[in-house]
Amino acid sequence: MSSSEQPARPDARVSTGVPGLDSVLGGGLVPSGVYIVVGEPGAGKTLLANQLCYHQAHGGARCLYVTLLAESHARMLANMRDMAFFDSAMLPEGVYYVSGFRTLEEQGLPGLLELLRREVRNHNASILVLDGLVQAQEAAGSNRDFKKFIHELQVSAGLARFTVLMLTSDGPVIHPEYTMVDGILELRERTAGVRSWRELQVRKFRGSPTLSGVHNFRVTSAGLEVFPRLEARVRRSPPPDPGAHRIHFGIHSLDALFPEGLAAGSTTLVLGPPGVGKTLMGSSLLAEGLRQGEPCLYMGFYEPPNRLLSKVSSAGIDLKGAVADGRLNIIWQPPAECILDVLADQLLTDVRKRKVKRVFVDGLSAMSQSTPESSRMSSFFAALTQELRCEGTTTFFGLETPRLFGPVLDVPLESGPSAVAENLFFLRHVELEGRLRRLLSIFKLRDTDYDPTLREFVISRQGIEVLPPFSVNVDTLLTGLARHPGGGHS
Amino acid sequence: METVLVVDDEQGILEALADLLREEGYRVVSASHGREALERMAELRPDLVLTDWMMPVLDGPALIQRIRAEPAYQGVALLGMSAVDVMALRRLYPDLPFLQKPFDIETLLRQVRKALDARRL
Repeated sequence: MSSSEQPARPDARVSTGVPGLDSVLGGGLVPSGVYIVVGEPGAGKTLLANQLCYHQAHGGARCLYVTLLAESHARMLANMRDMAFFDSAMLPEGVYYVSGFRTLEEQGLPGLLELLRREVRNHNASILVLDGLVQAQEAAGSNRDFKKFIHELQVSAGLARFTVLMLTSDGPVIHPEYTMVDGILELRERTAGVRSWRELQVRKFRGSPTLSGVHNFRVTSAGLEVFPRLEARVRRSPPPDPGAHRIHFGIHSLDALFPEGLAAGSTTLVLGPPGVGKTLMGSSLLAEGLRQGEPCLYMGFYEPPNRLLSKVSSAGIDLKGAVADGRLNIIWQPPAECILDVLADQLLTDVRKRKVKRVFVDGLSAMSQSTPESSRMSSFFAALTQELRCEGTTTFFGLETPRLFGPVLDVPLESGPSAVAENLFFLRHVELEGRLRRLLSIFKLRDTDYDPTLREFVISRQGIEVLPPFSVNVDTLLTGLARHPGGGHS
Repeated sequence: METVLVVDDEQGILEALADLLREEGYRVVSASHGREALERMAELRPDLVLTDWMMPVLDGPALIQRIRAEPAYQGVALLGMSAVDVMALRRLYPDLPFLQKPFDIETLLRQVRKALDARRL
């Protein structure tokens, strides 16, 4: 076989320029592929296609955008002028807009096909967008004619080496004719109650595996941004062994309950009602990390950063300096609407960028309540902890229990999160001797000896202090409504 | 009656412009791309060609070039229009007036009148 007969090396993928989408597609579109983007009006198809065109044009490619009875080009460009990806300097050399409507009306699909082939050649385009495929489908005399049109376009794309994106607002129905194409991307908006969110799903993709399932995306002034579903891309490999490295809270009386410390890279879940001390416990873990020179991250949903810093400062934990010099990053998300994968992306991006060693997420319950996908929490939590372990990060999650105190132990979890966390702490309010006290108990610490006794702890200006074990029998202490014949500590 | 040839590949815009100019008393012929425009010009020499820039088959710059190269079309007024940033186009074609899409009716009529009047100077 001569060198000229060697099979052509497959070209690099066509990057979409949509953050996150190339990851979902296994690297981008396959060159010379024919793809359908389906979604109802307003789903974001036109924006996605334009974003791809300007991204490619910036890389030196030429793109041809053909509309079929879509909005006028002037209006389309006016709508995109404020988008960060839009660049008028790319017009008309990099991105060229023409209408194929009249040709379709007068000459049908054969005429449109001829126009597409000719214009791609004239402009030396490597990307062709056909916006309004439903018009072409309506103009087809039969399904057979429409299939023939797609087939011939595929042949042309292969010969002339251009990649095709066909946009159609065909609604939720995927026509059988579409199965001929190399890929189908579906964009949709979902609504639950008064909330709505956008989703992308790859229904078909020839050439490589894609990230399965549904992925959230959002539209901002930057354009489309896809957040690949964390569970679909989580690393399957076991996390690195942190060895014998152990970490502490820096609170002598607390660390004394498990003198070896927590295993570095492990996940800890602390359960407790509002106000019991979860935030101070997690903040202590971060403060100790900062003392050890470790970059740390706090992700919170309750107190805004200033209030959080003041609150922990009043308990002797000064984090302000670390925030100011960047050793500690605070990601604050008000407990309103959130997308789990957006939060995971924010968190993991910072962990990777700053090589964060300790993370405190305060708290999981707010995250669960503010997402429309709360049923995902167990699998999401498992995937998030796996990623954090793979980064070698020690993570502390606060999880709020709904009842302040009482005989019922509410654990607002399915088995997932507590099963995934290696370490489990439980904080409670206890009514004893006419006084509300705080109680700490360790449910489990993997591979670490610990003191399993129930301990009272207090919060003062010096922070958390764990008191010695109760010296007398106290009944039903864990119910929060304890009784005992005497009182005091040993 | 002055004749205006309107060239645009977007059917809706083509029809709207043709209707507007007819109401203003111009004779209007239309074409959806440059090659069709040259065919119309062979049939009826217009006083003004109002042409879009990005079009299939034969685009705005190619049409302008062909018109200017044809001695029989000397004196035909030319006016470009585009959704592309026309400031850049004006730098490339300093002797050609442009309309920035989208434009309002008054701007269109004023520019058409101006281009036709300039032809007589």
